[in-house]
Amino acid sequence: MAILVMKFRCLLLLFLSFCVMTVSTMAADEIDFNRDVRPIISDNCFACHGFDKGTRKGELRLDQREAATEDRGGYAVIVPGKPEESALIERVTSSDSDLLMPPADSHKKPLDQKSVAVLKEWIRQGAPWGQHWAFAKPQRAEVSEKSELPIDYFVRKRLAKANLDISRPAETHTLIRRLSFDLTGLPPTPEVVASFPESPTAKDWDRLVNSLLASPHFGERMAMWWLDGARYSDTDGFQSDAIRTNWPWRDWVVDWFNQNKAFDDFTVEQFAGDLLPNATVEQKLATCFHRNHMNNGEGGRDKEESRVDYVLDRVNTTGTLFLGLTLGCTQCHDHKFDPISQQDYYSLTAYFNSIDETGAAGGAAKPFLKFKSPYAQRSVDEASALVKATESELAKVQKQAETEFLPWFIRQVERVDQGFRPWTTVIPERLSTTEGYGLSRDSDGIIVSSPTDLPQDDFVITVAKTGLERVSGMKLEVFPHSSHTEGKYSFSETGEFILTNVKLLVRKRGSSQIREVGLTSAVADVEGVGKDTSYKTVRDTLDDDPRKGWTTRTKPSDVPHVAVFALADPLVLAEDEEFDIVLMQRSLAPRELMGRFRLSLTDQRGSAVRSLKPMPLEELAELRGKSSAAGSAEELLGAALRKRLFEQFLEDHAAWQAAKQRSDLAKGQLNAGKKSAGEQNVMVLSERKESRKTYVLERGVWDKHGALVDRAVLPAVLERPNSDVATRLELGRWIVSKDNPLTARVITNQVWQLFFGAGLVRTPADFGLQGESPTHPELLDWLAVEFMESGWDLKHLVKTIVSSRTYRQDSSVSAELLELDPENRLLDRGARFRLPSWMIRDAALQASGLLNESIGGPPVFPYQPPGVWQDQFMGRFVYQPSIGRAQYRRTLYSFWRRTSAPTFLFDSAMRRTCEVVPRRTNTPLHALTLLNDTTSLEAARTLSDAALAVASPNDLAKRFEFLMMRILSRQPTKFEADNVLLPQYRTARAYYDRHPAEAATLTTVGQLAVPEASVVADVAATMLLANLLLNLDEGITHE
Amino acid sequence: MNNPQGAEHQSLSELDETRRYFLGRGAGVGLGAMALNVLGSESKNGQAEGATGKLAGTDFAPKAKRIIFLTQSGGPSQIELYDEKPGLLKMAGKELPASVRNGQRLTAMTAGKDQLVMPAHSKFRRHGESGATVSNWLPHIGAIADELCFVKSMTTDQINHAPAMTRFLTGHHLIGRPSIGSWFSYGLGSSNRDLPDFLVLLSKMKRGSDQPLYDHYWGSGFLPSVYQGVKLRSAKDPVLYLRDPDGLPRHLRRNMLDGLGQMNQLRFEQTHDPEIETRIQQYEMAYRMQASVPELTDVSDETESTFELYGPDSRRPGSYAANCVLARRLAERGVRFIQLFHPDWDHHSRLKSWCTARCRDTDQASAALVRDLKQRGLLEDTLVIWGGEFGRGVAGQGKWDSPEGGRDHHPRCYTVWMAGGGIKSGTTYGATDDFSYNVAENPVHVRDLHATVMHLMGINHEQFSYRFQGLDFRLTGVEEARIVRDILA
Repeated sequence: MAILVMKFRCLLLLFLSFCVMTVSTMAADEIDFNRDVRPIISDNCFACHGFDKGTRKGELRLDQREAATEDRGGYAVIVPGKPEESALIERVTSSDSDLLMPPADSHKKPLDQKSVAVLKEWIRQGAPWGQHWAFAKPQRAEVSEKSELPIDYFVRKRLAKANLDISRPAETHTLIRRLSFDLTGLPPTPEVVASFPESPTAKDWDRLVNSLLASPHFGERMAMWWLDGARYSDTDGFQSDAIRTNWPWRDWVVDWFNQNKAFDDFTVEQFAGDLLPNATVEQKLATCFHRNHMNNGEGGRDKEESRVDYVLDRVNTTGTLFLGLTLGCTQCHDHKFDPISQQDYYSLTAYFNSIDETGAAGGAAKPFLKFKSPYAQRSVDEASALVKATESELAKVQKQAETEFLPWFIRQVERVDQGFRPWTTVIPERLSTTEGYGLSRDSDGIIVSSPTDLPQDDFVITVAKTGLERVSGMKLEVFPHSSHTEGKYSFSETGEFILTNVKLLVRKRGSSQIREVGLTSAVADVEGVGKDTSYKTVRDTLDDDPRKGWTTRTKPSDVPHVAVFALADPLVLAEDEEFDIVLMQRSLAPRELMGRFRLSLTDQRGSAVRSLKPMPLEELAELRGKSSAAGSAEELLGAALRKRLFEQFLEDHAAWQAAKQRSDLAKGQLNAGKKSAGEQNVMVLSERKESRKTYVLERGVWDKHGALVDRAVLPAVLERPNSDVATRLELGRWIVSKDNPLTARVITNQVWQLFFGAGLVRTPADFGLQGESPTHPELLDWLAVEFMESGWDLKHLVKTIVSSRTYRQDSSVSAELLELDPENRLLDRGARFRLPSWMIRDAALQASGLLNESIGGPPVFPYQPPGVWQDQFMGRFVYQPSIGRAQYRRTLYSFWRRTSAPTFLFDSAMRRTCEVVPRRTNTPLHALTLLNDTTSLEAARTLSDAALAVASPNDLAKRFEFLMMRILSRQPTKFEADNVLLPQYRTARAYYDRHPAEAATLTTVGQLAVPEASVVADVAATMLLANLLLNLDEGITHE
Repeated sequence: MNNPQGAEHQSLSELDETRRYFLGRGAGVGLGAMALNVLGSESKNGQAEGATGKLAGTDFAPKAKRIIFLTQSGGPSQIELYDEKPGLLKMAGKELPASVRNGQRLTAMTAGKDQLVMPAHSKFRRHGESGATVSNWLPHIGAIADELCFVKSMTTDQINHAPAMTRFLTGHHLIGRPSIGSWFSYGLGSSNRDLPDFLVLLSKMKRGSDQPLYDHYWGSGFLPSVYQGVKLRSAKDPVLYLRDPDGLPRHLRRNMLDGLGQMNQLRFEQTHDPEIETRIQQYEMAYRMQASVPELTDVSDETESTFELYGPDSRRPGSYAANCVLARRLAERGVRFIQLFHPDWDHHSRLKSWCTARCRDTDQASAALVRDLKQRGLLEDTLVIWGGEFGRGVAGQGKWDSPEGGRDHHPRCYTVWMAGGGIKSGTTYGATDDFSYNVAENPVHVRDLHATVMHLMGINHEQFSYRFQGLDFRLTGVEEARIVRDILA
């Protein structure tokens, strides 16, 4: 079977045996069953001759020694000591394609020579079997070198076999940085770096590690690991993707890690906190872990089908996260490779099958815990302060606007005195229809349609000249006429009309492209009810849905009716532009199309086009018409009209609109904050009174019940009598039993992976037979035992790892070493890998000083490009970034919509199912994100402001040092300063000196105002430098 | 290991190089976790030339070099659009015979309700020499019937949208498998180094759709994320974060990237981490994309006749029709897999007004795309696929005899059509029973469609696999999948 993994293994084996021979510490031909043989027979044979009796062929199983060596009537598949008599060797080397194994129809390739040689040698040595390493309890191996930390002892022992040793320690600033990212997910502050001794002692390092472990950011960093595994999200996923309020559980996780309570209790409480005697509210909260799965509320779903999905998801998550087993495979059949049967799988589901849930989603996804978060008040306080600040800003702008009102008002008086026409009748350039109705112009701007047999049509009125400087609203009048049926509005059987959709399309003459102008509101004098009751309101003409629309049926039918539509933004028509008003009449009622109608336009905004009341200027005109006496115009106004006119004025006041929008957003955030400070519904576990029966589901299908099963744990992992493991609580305890061979290893491996980029087992989700063997089995076991014996002390485990010389190695690599050990499987150097994307964002916030360090509370909304939710949901959800300090919270607190994960997190876990394998790719899309994301740019601008404050343009060297220390925790080299940073700055500065307006545009980013004109070019040029440094490989890499 | 060109003969560093480009150094999905069946040594074509896929070559000469997948999301009604059943008129309003229904599961929306037959709301016409029947709601598609192959016997096993679409596009109903486009991106790559291999275009609609287009429909599942589809948006930024901020001219971005490259190069010389070199290249590709993507989406170089061909809606950026124009431009640029999504085909009620609206959105442009590819000589090696996740049932939902009636989901049979690259044109394959309820002959399961599509692209679906969690996964899954040879040219 020509698969890369095999080739790689072979190459590695060759390489290792080469090393072994040269060092000659052990026999060159010593075969290890688990390492050398099991992968070959597992890959090639177990699919048909393994544990799964459903697919077993020839009544032969090769996963057990007894079966493989038994006498099969004169021959045996394996004859220990005698490869030449073993049918296995004969079959895998046969030149007869009918006999050759694996057979052609398995689509597996014949074994290569190396594998055959391994099998022969193994049989020659007596075909010794071994228990799969991961199912044997970990034992501490002896550490014979007492002067060394055990980690270093095991690593160096392994390296010595390859004639290698561990590398020198990394440079001090690099190591501070590495520790800071690994333990808190944030880079160190320049102060920490500066105050650290130049030649640090072991004590100095110890102090630093202790202070990082004591930082509240430690809990946040570890929580990000846990949330990916726990598939935590703020929405259900699937169709309606309803928002859930499980975030108090996220804070519970952060707290737990910070308090460093025992990891076994952490596990037990998440499995069954509700079942503990006198369970506290926090212990119940913990069980949200097993409710973080997706919920499917799709209309046609059978709720039971969804409920079964959730139960299976809990088992699969347990398998991946705690046991490192691919239990999902056993949903449909016995495991092909691991000794786990389908019955075992469904026995596990029985623990989760009697939760008091229905399979419903959203607000119906009981059971819920009503929980008041201690972290919510802080966000209320923050939002209150923001409301105050934005309100006072708005008041200031409004005061300024008051002073500008009078001159405007005087202009309006002049305007109405010359005669104010609220609406200007459209004079069409062209009239057309899609299907074939005829349109023509009558007197008074009225447009008349000529009847046909066609059931539906669109009327298109093309306008080239409006007579207005801009268009902000449109009025449609529909007239009755004696020629219509019963003198009503149309020639249809009923005489009624139904308008289904209205569109406004702008076209540039000579260009092929059109753009649609948004309409935001529609009001009408009356709204009737159609024969089909979904035809009713005029607002439904805006949604592009022909099943709904406006009718006046059931209302007086002998008077004209009127509807007014408001544009989202005023349309200023260019000289060479024209636009189509499209009146779509595509209802199910045939031929209910307007017989006579008129369109007119206005340039007034706001209430003028959002209601049918007289416009403010209309009222003013009326007032002027009545009053004969000249005199101060303002004196004539009543308070009410003055207010309306002032509001009309503000419609076009950009500064006021912006301040108003911020103030409204702040109020929205305050309301949301207050809501989150009340009782939240957190999805948790609790048992229903009557437990459900659990069945094996045939082929994994939810309603295909097979055999009835009881609750039972996996016998292959750790056998226990059913009576000892009868409850969910006992299942949780079984998971973290010190006799369980998997959990401590699996968790230790995940923790190791956080700091080394790859685990000691490089398949962290699969410790089974198809997974990889550990690169350092003794080390993994030693750590796992240490973890358990320390009382599952996570901080102790972390400290043990990061205190080792192995951890502290320099991460640069020579060409020879890269050739010898490209993946650093021997741990011959420090780990160099790209930081997770969330850490890159947090680092930019920290480096710039923008970071809001508050812990916990309801989720926040970092910047995302406009439209990311609308794209996916065709406009049903709109993403609104947080304003104020809430914008700069750590990524952990970002709102996570499962169907549209935060865009700034390139290759993160998807949070749909449990994930423990980090995604780490290197693509142009990531480059674009880091170059152009608003957070990144706002951080660069903030860094630029700070750099200007510490050093003038005459002292650029100091400025470079400042930026480098903030972003990379080190000084620039002379070469970097002189040959990169300086020319970069000069080029940008020269450009922005000549183009200050562009400098102003570039620097006005996020929530930051435009800089003073005197420094704007300097700010822009320095901002670009920061943008460069924030994108450096060094800056985004764990070095 | 019988492939002399395969990885077997690569040195470790070469191996690492390939891997590094795609996976990123030290990735969890490292070499140890992945495996690829490098295909036969008899690969003998230029398919992979200059391309970046993981396959050393294709199994045999491909008939199609690229795919345009016109995904109609929501379940278009085969009864109204393609599968004419004149006999239904006689059965109108009568209970669907139990022998026909034969235990078919219904959704929670119509379970337990009468299943009264509702004849098609549309009328049918025969078209071209092939005489294919197509609805009068799709006059343009009807007019190109001689270019198409209608598969009227498509069948799936999922009755709700998300699982069915996930099955249709990833081969499995549960989330987590790679989408079909990412399989091709992974296996074949593309010869265009300035654009992603796999691009996705969603129609911009005003109406809030009931079925969101989940990004796992074009996700990479357990494949590295570099293979996922890249969404081409109808927005200022056609690709997320593509545009440099306002106030930053292109020459300054170039200058900044030069400085960035310089400093990254210095770091590389200190650390020798090959990942840095890859990063430098990726920033350069990002810079090239900043030019190539706007050039792609700027259709001002298209002639007026293009827009006349694709219809008036093609002038409105973001519309399905405009996306069809972009699809042709992408095909011209050698992009491997181009996938359009048009939502809102889920017509449970008022089918007549609702379904016709979606037909108007898509009919002319879908047909124009096929015509346009043909006139430009691209159709012969471009495979066009039109279809959705399932069909709709013969029983009326709501009142069967009123225009307000609609239809519920129906997985047992539906219609998909294909054109171009290696497909026998002017054919109809498979048939349903008199109620368009069960497949009567030549069933084509979703996995058979996948096997056939892979075959057309020159790949043996049984050998093209990826190792994840100790298992070798294939798009077509573990059950037997059949290449539908009768529809191959």
